[in-house]
Amino acid sequence: MLTGLPEAEPTRTLIDELLAEQQQLTAVERFARQHDEAKLPAQARYYHGLIPLDKPRPGEQYAFAVDLDLCTGCKACVSACHSLNGLDDDETWRSVGLLQGGTAVEPYQQTVTTACHHCLDPACLNGCPVLAYEKDADTGIVRHLDDQCIGCQYCVLKCPYDVPKYSAKRGIVRKCDMCHGRLAAHEAPACVQACPSGAISIQLVSRTEIGHRCSVPNAQLLPGAFESSYAKPSTVYASRKPLPKNSRPVDAAVRRLEPAHWPLVWMLVLTQTAAGMLLASWLTALLAPQSFAIGKGALAICAFVLLQLGLAASVFHLGRPLGAWRAFLGFRHSWMSREIVAFGLFAIASGVFVLSALSTTIATADPVLSGIVALLGCVSVFCSAMIYVDTPRTSWIWSLTFPRFFGTTVLLGAAGAACTLGWADPLSNTVLAAAWAATAIRTALFVWEAQLLLRPFDPRSNPRYSAALLAWQCLKPVIVARIALFVVSTCFGLLGIVMSGSLAVCFATIAFVSTFSSQIIERYCFFVNAAAPRMPGGAG
Amino acid sequence: MKRNAAGDGAKSRREALPALRQWSGPLTQDLVLHPGNFGLGRVPARLKPDATTTLVCGFCSTGCGLNAHLRNGEAINLSPTTDYPVNLGMACPKGWEALTPLRSPDRATTPLLRGRPGADLQPCDWERAMVLFCERFKDLQRRFGAESIAWLGTGQIVNEELAFLGALAKFGMGMVHGDGNTRQCMATAVTAYKQSFGFDAPPYTYADFEESDVVVLVGSNLCIAHPIMWQRLMRNKNRPEIIVIDPRKTETAMAATQHYALNPKSDLTLFYGLANLLISEGCIATEFIVRHTRDFKPFAEFVRQFAPAAVSAATGLSIAQLRRFADTIHRGRRVSFWWTMGVNQGHEATRTAQAIINLALMTGNIGRPGTGANSITGQCNAMGSRLFSNTTNLLGGHDFLDAGHRRKIARILGFRENCIPSQDSWAYDQIIDGIDSGKIKGLWIVATNTAHSWIHQNRFKKVAEKLEFLVVQDMYPNTETVQLADLFLPAAGWGEKEGTFINSERRFGLVKKVARAPGQVLSDFNIFRLVAQYWGCSEMFARWTSPEEVFRILKECSRGQPCDISGIRDYRMIDDCGGIQWPWTDENVTPSTERRLFEDGAFFHPDGKAKFIFEQPRDMPEPLDAEFPFLLLTGRGTSAQWHTQTRTNKSDVLRKLFPADAYVEINERDAAILGITSGQTVTVVSRRGRMEARAFVTLTVQPNQVFIPMHYAATNQLTFPSVDPYSRQPAYKACAVRVETTTKRVA
Repeated sequence: MLTGLPEAEPTRTLIDELLAEQQQLTAVERFARQHDEAKLPAQARYYHGLIPLDKPRPGEQYAFAVDLDLCTGCKACVSACHSLNGLDDDETWRSVGLLQGGTAVEPYQQTVTTACHHCLDPACLNGCPVLAYEKDADTGIVRHLDDQCIGCQYCVLKCPYDVPKYSAKRGIVRKCDMCHGRLAAHEAPACVQACPSGAISIQLVSRTEIGHRCSVPNAQLLPGAFESSYAKPSTVYASRKPLPKNSRPVDAAVRRLEPAHWPLVWMLVLTQTAAGMLLASWLTALLAPQSFAIGKGALAICAFVLLQLGLAASVFHLGRPLGAWRAFLGFRHSWMSREIVAFGLFAIASGVFVLSALSTTIATADPVLSGIVALLGCVSVFCSAMIYVDTPRTSWIWSLTFPRFFGTTVLLGAAGAACTLGWADPLSNTVLAAAWAATAIRTALFVWEAQLLLRPFDPRSNPRYSAALLAWQCLKPVIVARIALFVVSTCFGLLGIVMSGSLAVCFATIAFVSTFSSQIIERYCFFVNAAAPRMPGGAG
Repeated sequence: MKRNAAGDGAKSRREALPALRQWSGPLTQDLVLHPGNFGLGRVPARLKPDATTTLVCGFCSTGCGLNAHLRNGEAINLSPTTDYPVNLGMACPKGWEALTPLRSPDRATTPLLRGRPGADLQPCDWERAMVLFCERFKDLQRRFGAESIAWLGTGQIVNEELAFLGALAKFGMGMVHGDGNTRQCMATAVTAYKQSFGFDAPPYTYADFEESDVVVLVGSNLCIAHPIMWQRLMRNKNRPEIIVIDPRKTETAMAATQHYALNPKSDLTLFYGLANLLISEGCIATEFIVRHTRDFKPFAEFVRQFAPAAVSAATGLSIAQLRRFADTIHRGRRVSFWWTMGVNQGHEATRTAQAIINLALMTGNIGRPGTGANSITGQCNAMGSRLFSNTTNLLGGHDFLDAGHRRKIARILGFRENCIPSQDSWAYDQIIDGIDSGKIKGLWIVATNTAHSWIHQNRFKKVAEKLEFLVVQDMYPNTETVQLADLFLPAAGWGEKEGTFINSERRFGLVKKVARAPGQVLSDFNIFRLVAQYWGCSEMFARWTSPEEVFRILKECSRGQPCDISGIRDYRMIDDCGGIQWPWTDENVTPSTERRLFEDGAFFHPDGKAKFIFEQPRDMPEPLDAEFPFLLLTGRGTSAQWHTQTRTNKSDVLRKLFPADAYVEINERDAAILGITSGQTVTVVSRRGRMEARAFVTLTVQPNQVFIPMHYAATNQLTFPSVDPYSRQPAYKACAVRVETTTKRVA
């Protein structure tokens, strides 16, 4: 059936020829173009009016300016930024969203383009523990020092505009640098070059003016954007048509689960357990030296081990842990730095404490050393909490974060103490006291969390608690698991109290483990359920 | 790189503690920009080219010039070409991302064969694929006649390939029936122009966008469907009135100065009503009408029945709106009318397009800068398909029914005259009916995704089971249509081959080979060469050795036609001129970059006159009722999506620019009645199918209407299979549906 095959060349068929031809690239020799190297970039003819002629004067900075009336939704800015900056396949520094509103007679929709706002008071910079951000003194561009970054992603939590993007492949965060290299050479940033209608431009703005603009009460860049007073973004969105009052991002009602940050979940619960147990250890040393002596510092040793595990877990969170030694650099403004320093001191002090407990032949407690350790533990937990409180996420405000973090600390401290001391001396009153304390704290936390979850169903409830609604929608199995663990830990905790002997200790241990599991789940929810503020997004 | 120090204090601190802050290193270097030369401005070092070249984009018909940044002949990046006369240095996201789909790991690398029905496709070599291709198709022809095999082509491949496919299939393999996916987007414009002007001739050039003082956009969401044409409109210095006729408040409607949200499919009535208003007010170009048109009188007589009150009732627009619209047209000195799929995909689409043409003719808005009745095309080479696919027209816009034309083409090609069929091809829908009735037994689908895009998709899938042999030729083996194939042929994509496209404004542009196709992949051109070889007709195609050779043949075919391109010397001339619009007949003169048709008022009918064509409007084929109370509108979702998304889905960047899952836009009022909130999953049901979609509650669609983008595979399970009787283009944009919430059925 092989008709017409060339038989003269049995070794090289038409198929071979065509396959070989397919691999020949012909465009260069046939059509490559010559350019005059000396000239300005060709695109300059379109963008020369869209970038300032002069460098910023003192007190001024560069800012993106978006003419909303010219932005009609082509989204070329996003891909141009990606292509001209050579970003990774799935990496984008600019994004587009959609606002809708208006009336049935006059519906309104507006595409909005957004990138880094090169804020006057950059939240990313303020949070960075290693000073990997720099607000350029001359241009005001907020630059990220990629080789300085340790990949802690705290800037991702800090930025209210979802600007820094973490690359797992590189282990660092990257973000828009306003194409500072292009601006320095009088070239326009990629997005400015690529907008078919010239809707994006670079302007010189006075820093004082940005400050004024952002300090107007309720000032925000666009409907749905975070309060401008927080980071003082420099971007200017302008429109000759007033935005309808009811316009809002089309994704306003979209509930997303945020990243869980598992290493942080484990780190927080483990270190808080350790701090709680060392607090319990101090209380024991202070109030019941007898028990402390019998326990031979078991509580402290267990706490020390848990603390080390927690700190080890935190390393897995870092994209480039080898640079973590620089983490003290941001001490002046970063709670992340302060937490790392506090935990460092806490770890050292608890190590000393454990060594001293092991080395003393006379089993007496040193309430001073033990007290210092407990205090450092509490300071560390405080710093941990402040990391989250000091972000723009509404579900991490202090009144929601402190009870969780210190609640976990005292709950697991008490439950851990009941369990650890119980193995040494099951019959002591200290153990009973710890077990009762754990039960009481557990119940109190449960009631507190339950009312938070139920609050959104109250029509008068604060919209800030809409995160709880997400919990109901997306996290039902998790909530069920926590209720079950509450019942289990309470029952076994009480059984441990009423029973005696090794059985009681076993029950206390079960109570501790189930409580610990419950808190791990709680901390998972803490992260995934913390709605991040963003610029308006799209329908996707 | 020069860096500005943050004050002296910071500087000294930095110098004192060099190790504390890493200002440079490999991660920093990755993003540092260096002069890219070739007029590019700065680019990252790893993307610095050693040459550049321009090729036209392979998505839509705008035909933008894209500057391929080459290293060792291979494209490593792309940016729009600054001095290309179409796009003037701009591109939409699809253009920017045009190289990405080529590098997708989803690409096929070998032919694939389905051993038996139900089995998986298995790799095979070209030899086996070609032998089987010929054996099976020849066997079917032996058993059921030459007409029993047919093909469905595309507007996505270059002219030279379209012509090769059409000539090979009809003249070499003896097929009679072949059509392309251009039936789904442009057939109406073709028919309307042919009947009105005497030839399929979109008259405009993009400069008309810049020169109008009134721009009427009908059923066209230009901002996202053709963003670069919108860019041209934004360059208009006349502060034009921009009138948008669309049931939805689209991006374009938002940006317009007048938006008429008429009732869906009432546009024919609207245009007749406008014509009536203009005529009764005496706002017509009498001299132009007399000298250059015919049948105006019966037309004027006919439109008298479309009194403002009746038109207002039918369209839902107030009489005041109608008068304002007519007045704006009347007062405009350069009025241009533009239409796209909102017109072309309707049950009376051809007459609607002609109603627009009539408005332009009667007001003398044609043949002058900033005027015209202008069809904006869809695919990158839909215009090429119209002239050279050898389906509806014989090569070069000729007529299969005309013995003189057949003789001319046979002579140019050096073929026997009797190998050219003397009958017209069936249209797409007729080919599918032919499969259903058993007349078509074998089908060859090239570069289109019928199982996704064809109207009333479920029927096509069922009908396709009746095929004894289905060959699909595509870049990716995972399209909906390939899932049905018996044999899959892996084709090279845009940028992996050479050839020419024709854009909306009749401009030939070059596609160049700047990327290597993966594995055993061959260009469509070379696949056709192989088929010719194995079929045994390679002698007929001895001259068809390269795309540029075929281009020379096509030039000959065009000679003497309105689309005469005999003056285009070669590919190099197209490249040097930034594309060349047809017609061009003088090799020795460089054409100006923007040329329009009919400047002399001479149309292509034998008498040189344009024709007023009109017909009584008809009701929508599937009216709404209590059971299906919503009208489903379909259309483009975003500028980042292309048709069935076989390519745009391959880019991470583009995927960020459109919703991943199907969504349905529903009016706030209807959503409230049905208890639907944004984000909720609902089921949209028609008499033909059902699909799940996320509700998107909005005011931009009117009550009793819903909108679903065409890009989602399930959308065409709902659509109603009616076609315009003249163009046979499917009416995608109107069918009756209901919306159900997941818990209860709501009518």
